[in-house]
Amino acid sequence: MLHDVNINVHHLTRVEGHGNIVVNVTDGTVEQCEWQVPEAPRFFEAMVRGRHYSEVARITSRICGICAVGHTLASVKATEAALGIEVTEQTKKLRSLLKHAENFDSHVLHVYVLVAPDLLGAPSVFPLIETHGEVVARALRLKRLAHEWGSAIGGRTTHPTTVIPGGFAKLPTVKELEALREKILAAVPDLEATLDTIAALAPKIPAFDRPTEYMAVSSASEYGLYDGEAVETVLADGDRARYAVDDYRTFTNEYMTAQSTAKFTKNRLDSYAAGALARFNVNYEMLRPEAKAAAERLGLEPVCTNPYMNTVAQVVEVVHSAYEGLRLLDELIESGIADEGIVQPTRFASGASAVEVPRGILFHEYEYDAEGMCVRANCIIPTNQNHGNIQRDFDALLPRLLAEGISEDDMRLRFEMLVRAYDPCISCSTHYVDVEFVR
Amino acid sequence: MRYLVGIGTYAATDDSIGLRVAEAIAAEGLDKGFTAIDLGGNLLDLLHYLGEGIERVLVVDAARMGREPGEHQLFTLEHARTRKDLAGLSTHEDDLAKVLELARALGRPLPPITVLGIEPADVSSGMGLSSALEARFREYVVAAVGFFGG
Repeated sequence: MLHDVNINVHHLTRVEGHGNIVVNVTDGTVEQCEWQVPEAPRFFEAMVRGRHYSEVARITSRICGICAVGHTLASVKATEAALGIEVTEQTKKLRSLLKHAENFDSHVLHVYVLVAPDLLGAPSVFPLIETHGEVVARALRLKRLAHEWGSAIGGRTTHPTTVIPGGFAKLPTVKELEALREKILAAVPDLEATLDTIAALAPKIPAFDRPTEYMAVSSASEYGLYDGEAVETVLADGDRARYAVDDYRTFTNEYMTAQSTAKFTKNRLDSYAAGALARFNVNYEMLRPEAKAAAERLGLEPVCTNPYMNTVAQVVEVVHSAYEGLRLLDELIESGIADEGIVQPTRFASGASAVEVPRGILFHEYEYDAEGMCVRANCIIPTNQNHGNIQRDFDALLPRLLAEGISEDDMRLRFEMLVRAYDPCISCSTHYVDVEFVR
Repeated sequence: MRYLVGIGTYAATDDSIGLRVAEAIAAEGLDKGFTAIDLGGNLLDLLHYLGEGIERVLVVDAARMGREPGEHQLFTLEHARTRKDLAGLSTHEDDLAKVLELARALGRPLPPITVLGIEPADVSSGMGLSSALEARFREYVVAAVGFFGG
């Protein structure tokens, strides 16, 4: 057993944004074991105050370059709730289709590019080109499908332009939907190969069970990504609780901690988990049969209490999104695309929404005045909902790793893999090019 | 096919310049003979625009080039060396050079790629552009459109 440990991972790689892992053990005494999030808050809520309801989604979609679709959908849903707008079934199906594209895209990126290197013993995806070239090529094919899928419905993938309060500014044609359907069907062999790859790697996923509360959007009619009547939680013993979306503040219970600039959350326990594994645990019965079969093949059963298995749950959701996408496309193609116009507001009040984005539940809430101008806004992102749970995982993991007697390097990797499993999107950092010219 | 690809992050002040230029060009209908794409921070998706049949690509991005904030320059990465030391790829830590390195490692034939680099004044957290870049925004749009002969 190690008696002295000093792990200080400043800006953990292969996660979205900046987070630190600090573990100090001296003479067997744990002095510090923290997941730290040092990034500055962005105050997006203030940016939308005073803006017309027609502008708000466009602004909030810029909160995140990865979950821009989710922010757009959460924003228009909250605005529609506030303005008494009931969108059509066609709009709901198209938005759901767009939501699946985003989750598919993000999960493929996370599983193949960010997690696979850990499981294959590589520092990044680059060495895998040499050793697992077909796996990398497959990942990029699936990414391209998701990109084209999102563009077909959202106008463009990153910051969608077609989704507006009350409906769609521009509708896809049936011909475009048929083309998209063919592309998803053509990707089925790649999905099967993905299951083969993950099934082969699954034994390398660390065993670590720490029961917590799992929270997800819940719907009687679907898996609950785009929409749901409520938010539901399940504990490891199967005990469930159900909440109205409008009451989101009462079951997220945001609070500040000294170790982080980001807020933490809690509900029935001292932390809860959101994301793919939480959705799987809460909504397993609503998965497509193909996704349930994938889960069985990968050894994933509800209620799973191993946070490292979030990656496996993401793979199951990739399968679900592909087949649910096909179902939605079949219905839309059969019914045809109607030019329904935009549903107009019937009131100006307040409303909240919940949408599942790749990393968990995204809550938006707005209040509008009689002129349709935003006077109050609130947004709770999923990664913040997981920070507390990551910290509780750290607290439970460290004694077990110490007891295992593994090296400090292996210990560091296990902490890093744990954080990466949550696929945190802390906030968008910069991408600028930094160059010197070669003369 | 010719593409103008804006990359960056809206929430990091001048790091959003590439996105804003692409967005302005599309909104004003200036993308004649080329397609303006907003990739946000999804740089891996750039690979989808580097395949066969692509004539040329202009990437618009904030670039630390050692020039005055707001100045811009067209360059190719063959004539520039990245100073970033990155462990790998994620949607947040990668940069253009890293993605192109991946494309080359995959053995893909790359189209001619030019960067319209714009020296940022501020890439800290925040929406909007710095005054230095805001004042010269039209120059960047004109330069980007002009690259394609517009």
